[in-house]
Amino acid sequence: MNGLTIHRKIEEHTGLLIFGILIVSAIGGLVQLLPVLNQESLETATSNTRPYTAAQLTGRDIYIREGCSVCHSQQVRPLIAELERYGPYSRAGEFVYDRPFLWGSKRTGPDLHRLGGKYSDDWHRIHLLDPRAVVAESIMPAYPWLDKRSAKETGNITAKFIALRRLGHPYSDEDISGAEAELEGLTEMDALIAYLQVLGTGLSGEDEGAAL
Amino acid sequence: MTQSSNYYHDKITLRLVQFSVIWAVLAMTAGVYISAELVWPTIDFGQFWLSFGRLRPLHTNGVIFGFGVSALMATAFYSVQRTSHVPLFAPRLAWFCCYAWQLIVLLGGLSLLAGWNSSKEYAELEWPFDIAIAIVWVCFGIVFFGTIATRKIKPIYISNWFYGALIIVIAMLHIVNSLAMPVSIDKSYSLYAGAQDAVVQWWYGHNAVGFLLTGGFLGMIYYFLPKHAERPIWSYRLSVVAFWAFVYSYIWAGPHHLHYNSIPEWVQSLGMAMSVILLAPSWATMINGIMTVSTAWEKLRSDPALKFIVLSLAFYGLATFEGPMMSIRSVNVISHFTDWTIGHVHSGALGWNAMVTYGTFYFMIPRLVDRELYSVRLANIHFWLALAGTMLYVMAMWAAGVSQGLLWLSVDQIGELSFDFKDIMASMTPYYLLRLVAGLIFLGGTVLMAYNLYMTVRGRETARVTVPAVDPAYGVGA
Amino acid sequence: MSSKIDSYLLIRALYQPLNAFEQLSRVDPSPAGVMFRYSLWLVILPPLFSLIGASNFGWRLGAAEPLRMTLGSLLIVSAGYLLVLLFGLVSTAIISRWMATTYGANTSIGRHMALMTIVGAPLAFASVAHLFPDVFINVLVLIPTMIWSMYLLYKGIPIALEIPPERGMLMASSLVGWLLVAAVSLLGISMALWTMGFGPLLGV
Repeated sequence: MNGLTIHRKIEEHTGLLIFGILIVSAIGGLVQLLPVLNQESLETATSNTRPYTAAQLTGRDIYIREGCSVCHSQQVRPLIAELERYGPYSRAGEFVYDRPFLWGSKRTGPDLHRLGGKYSDDWHRIHLLDPRAVVAESIMPAYPWLDKRSAKETGNITAKFIALRRLGHPYSDEDISGAEAELEGLTEMDALIAYLQVLGTGLSGEDEGAAL
Repeated sequence: MTQSSNYYHDKITLRLVQFSVIWAVLAMTAGVYISAELVWPTIDFGQFWLSFGRLRPLHTNGVIFGFGVSALMATAFYSVQRTSHVPLFAPRLAWFCCYAWQLIVLLGGLSLLAGWNSSKEYAELEWPFDIAIAIVWVCFGIVFFGTIATRKIKPIYISNWFYGALIIVIAMLHIVNSLAMPVSIDKSYSLYAGAQDAVVQWWYGHNAVGFLLTGGFLGMIYYFLPKHAERPIWSYRLSVVAFWAFVYSYIWAGPHHLHYNSIPEWVQSLGMAMSVILLAPSWATMINGIMTVSTAWEKLRSDPALKFIVLSLAFYGLATFEGPMMSIRSVNVISHFTDWTIGHVHSGALGWNAMVTYGTFYFMIPRLVDRELYSVRLANIHFWLALAGTMLYVMAMWAAGVSQGLLWLSVDQIGELSFDFKDIMASMTPYYLLRLVAGLIFLGGTVLMAYNLYMTVRGRETARVTVPAVDPAYGVGA
Repeated sequence: MSSKIDSYLLIRALYQPLNAFEQLSRVDPSPAGVMFRYSLWLVILPPLFSLIGASNFGWRLGAAEPLRMTLGSLLIVSAGYLLVLLFGLVSTAIISRWMATTYGANTSIGRHMALMTIVGAPLAFASVAHLFPDVFINVLVLIPTMIWSMYLLYKGIPIALEIPPERGMLMASSLVGWLLVAAVSLLGISMALWTMGFGPLLGV
């Protein structure tokens, strides 16, 4: 067998084997990743999508820290039942300021992408402190420590804004210098609620018409 | 290169196995605990470090990187020496890999409890750990490929191709997916945003499963199965074809984790098509394994280890069939986001990865210390516990997942949703309870094994195994 | 060698399985005989229980409203169930016989049929849980029964098919592989059918 003779060469040379594995395994990744990473429509924000404010970004980092995305997805699929249950389906342009993305892979609890504006701030506060006080069936953990820590303790917000601006988020110098002040007097709970309330508010009427 | 001694370096293998077993017990305990939290949500007692969202990544990382990778390193070091007929290249570097890796797992686990979390699934550790992992991984590669480069046998044995692919591809995936802009020691922002980040992450996530949990463990199978059965691999040609087809096609399948999500349609379709194709190389390997062992059944008599390996092949067959099936869009639309995914992962993780590792440990440890296994009876009990635990787990999650998928999407005659989300969620409790029992049974088996192996090793030194002479027909000079 | 198995074999298989397997290893029954005297009656049980249970109470998939279907569609579902079970039993027996040559086991198709029938019998009887059509009760009863059936498979193959236990273990594991794949295919096919509009209404 000719093919096997060629293969014998590969399996007798360490370098050839390493090189072969590298090339053969890289092909699929290159074909998929390169076009996606260069596709502009995936980087174009929908009309109401804005970079996160200091409070919202801090809230998002708390959401990440507590592992909320382990049980809650942020991705409404274009299926009749999901449109009815959650709202308009998710568009790529709504996530352009999401580093990392938080779409999740499991819905132990409901999807949260269209959560913004559905409940009052007070509802969220009670729910996060004692989920079963507002939803009797809930199996969500309580987060009593969020109320006790100030939002400034979550991390250096100025450094975060600078890092994100380097990655291309349109923060102005005033945004960056004013970030610290925006967190003044806020608890981690306030910050998280600010994030939950902005979730899924990136669409306006024109996007909805255009994308369908 | 001249070696100071002519013995295989087996102490390091024994140490890695010990760590692996410890991580298995700890990480599975964490798994059982979080499964209990889904039944009794208040048992985190308001402590942040017992919170589900923090313990869950601890469970997955502990099992994959603590239990899994330690076992892979142990078996790779064990088999690469024996298939190359030389002692380990750079044994000190190998020891560094062993301890540095354990330190990463330990501190990484603690950092997850502290809330350092990049939230990319199976890559949750923050950037300082990502750098440390990359360094240790490169050292692992140097030891492994260095041993192969100094080998005395001309052909590179097939198990080494799989271990090699594991090392190379995981390095590539890990580095590309972990690229991030650090903010502070515990925080960084991904270089990719939104939909692009999602595609990169699942290219990583799916292939971490592919090349670590499938490819790496296939390396284990390809060395230990023929060794154990004292038979050559059933078909050499099939293994060559299956290997390259596996390396080529696995990498494409990631986007099936993002069906109906906001990524381009062509990426989803391509991911689905390649996932279905992936069934062929996966099953070719399974058939090769089953046929290898089918003529060597006498070996089963004295040794419970082969039982685990044989059964692991059955679950490997299930998981590699179930995966492509769930990547078909019309099935995925129901199974996505449900507990079926969790069940699928565990049919692979418990039925395939854990069982093949257990089988390998039962085979390897008595040889490492040159003493009979402490109790064959306990090992047989472990076998039945592992089988029952896995079956119960998988079935409970099938039932839970299918109900969730159907009930979420159910609409009545006028198109209104039939069920409230919270009612569907509440109806899951019994399945979660069953899953908890399944986890306890499986964990119980693992603890039995830990005891059994401990009693086997207790008070013994690693046996010294001399590197045998090389048959001139296969020698490097031939 | 006799070609008959005694009528109490199935009952005995429930409480003295090893004894029943041994008895099986001494006979060479005809496949049709096994089918019509034993298997068919067992295979009819689950669809029958399900029909009675579902038409009286409706299926409860969770805490929510029971799912009620018309008698017509219930009959269709039960007939489908019967066909799937028959297919499962016969195909498993055939595959088991096909594997028998690899593992050096007895290749009498009647014996393979009888073996699979005995292995499946506990499940058929446990399907009495279908009379109470609550998914959880059914799962609770059927999963332990299934583990028991798998145990019977592992124990039964070497005795009934006259091969050493070690070889029987290999064959049983291969069969478990097939059964798992068959089960998950069934799940996948039903999901795909549902998505395409057969079965309960879905908003996709």
